Amino acid sequence: MVKHIFSRIKHYLSVYQGIVITNFIESMNFRLHFFLLILMDLLFYISALASIHIIYNHVETIGVWNREQLLFFVAFMLGINQLTMTFVSEAYWRFPELIRTGDLDFILLKPIGAVFSVFFRYLRPGSMLNMIFTWGVIIYYGLILNLSVFDWCALPFLLVLGFLLQNAIEMVISCSMFWMLEGSGVNFVRMELQQLARWPDFIYNKIVSRILMTILPILLIGSAPIRFLFNANDWLPFLGMGLAILLFWGVLRFVWQLGLASYESASS
Amino acid sequence: MKPFLLKWFQTMQVSWSNLMVYKLNFFLQIIGPMLVFFFIKLSLWSSIYGGYDYVKIGGYTLSEMLSYHLWVMIAGMIIMSSTASNLSEDIRLGKISSYLIYPFSFWEFHAAKYLARQVIQIIIALITIISCYFLLDRLYIAFEPVSLAIGFFVALLAGYYWFAANYLIGILAFWLDETWTIMVGLQIMTYFFSGAIIPLELFPETMVEILYWTPFPYISFVPAKILMGHIPPLLPVIGILSFWSLFITLISYLVWRKGLSLYTAAGM
Repeated sequence: MVKHIFSRIKHYLSVYQGIVITNFIESMNFRLHFFLLILMDLLFYISALASIHIIYNHVETIGVWNREQLLFFVAFMLGINQLTMTFVSEAYWRFPELIRTGDLDFILLKPIGAVFSVFFRYLRPGSMLNMIFTWGVIIYYGLILNLSVFDWCALPFLLVLGFLLQNAIEMVISCSMFWMLEGSGVNFVRMELQQLARWPDFIYNKIVSRILMTILPILLIGSAPIRFLFNANDWLPFLGMGLAILLFWGVLRFVWQLGLASYESASS
Repeated sequence: MKPFLLKWFQTMQVSWSNLMVYKLNFFLQIIGPMLVFFFIKLSLWSSIYGGYDYVKIGGYTLSEMLSYHLWVMIAGMIIMSSTASNLSEDIRLGKISSYLIYPFSFWEFHAAKYLARQVIQIIIALITIISCYFLLDRLYIAFEPVSLAIGFFVALLAGYYWFAANYLIGILAFWLDETWTIMVGLQIMTYFFSGAIIPLELFPETMVEILYWTPFPYISFVPAKILMGHIPPLLPVIGILSFWSLFITLISYLVWRKGLSLYTAAGM
């Protein structure tokens, strides 16, 4: 059993290695696009951080957090955004086209998991370089907040957990494209959910906050790990985050099968 | 109807049909993001003010701030209707060849599409204003016909600028494989510098003085303030907006001419 799991992981890693190489070669052929992608992401990161700075020039606190705490939270969310932009973002935009044109057929025929092949097939090497910026900002505000050694060690894992939860939710939502004639609008729903998650839970009123922490737990992506980092006694949302990750990856398997059952395979 | 106008009207009719076929997609792409963006700002500013209406930040009370953001949303509905997202694909895939033969130019076709969308978005903006007027009482919507008329006029002018800027970016596809990164970059800068997130009164003074010479404040801040009843001297507003609109249109014309000389009509 264990041997089987390891051999599958090895197989997927070797496939992903091929994907990485192909994407790097492709991006080097379109160098201007490569640089524009970096610039676009940087503009977004800088405008997000500058907005917080400008607001804090006029107020002492927002909710219960001071300037550095909120900026650390935003930097953490930008870190998750950078991972998403690098590893999966492109695939979400190509997915409706795969369904509409029937090109999904060719992916389903491959001897590898279709979800993996659909969502992890495109890598944006340009966005990968922006890791320097996002991690730079995370470290800068982490140092101001005097994070402990445990916090620093936990930080990369928390970032990956946030990435996993965000994308499990987004992949489930993307599956709704199977039932739509033109599914590109669903990508805007995804982006709006990202916008909502980019702010801490306490800015929303109690009902909205509760819904976005439980039924559609997008606020757990950032608020749960950061609250846990700031106060280890505040572990309940973090536990909820772990459960939500398991739940949504499970739901994804189910919804994906359901979607495939109604997929009409336009090219066949 | 004169044949010249008929061409415009028929293109607009085709655009309306296209939009109506994918109604949900249209809602998710255009209206949904605006509503979510407004909801986030409503939550954020309510949290910043702590729910107290007597506190003033940048000269705004909470209800004035919420009113400002409501008008920003309405102005956005009128101004940011053009996306020109298909434009670069038309050029890259050689689809513009047909426009070179038709008695209706590429610019006219896209301008007619923009007008069609504009009509729908104006209707949506009007419905939003009427709904808010009755649902939210006069707290957020001060219904002043003169301000409304001038605000709509400035918004329509800014809308043309937005179309011209998007068109210019779209036709850069003569040289670039992808132009969406530049479009998104422009959107990010516009959201930040236009006062769509934070009113310009909260920005550093020197920065605002410079910004007034750029088209950004006229996309959110100025129309929203006019719609709120604060009418600035109109000559500079119309002058600067007209200058940028004409300047971008002229550049587009030159870029189009240069681009056509390089055009290889792929797929012909």
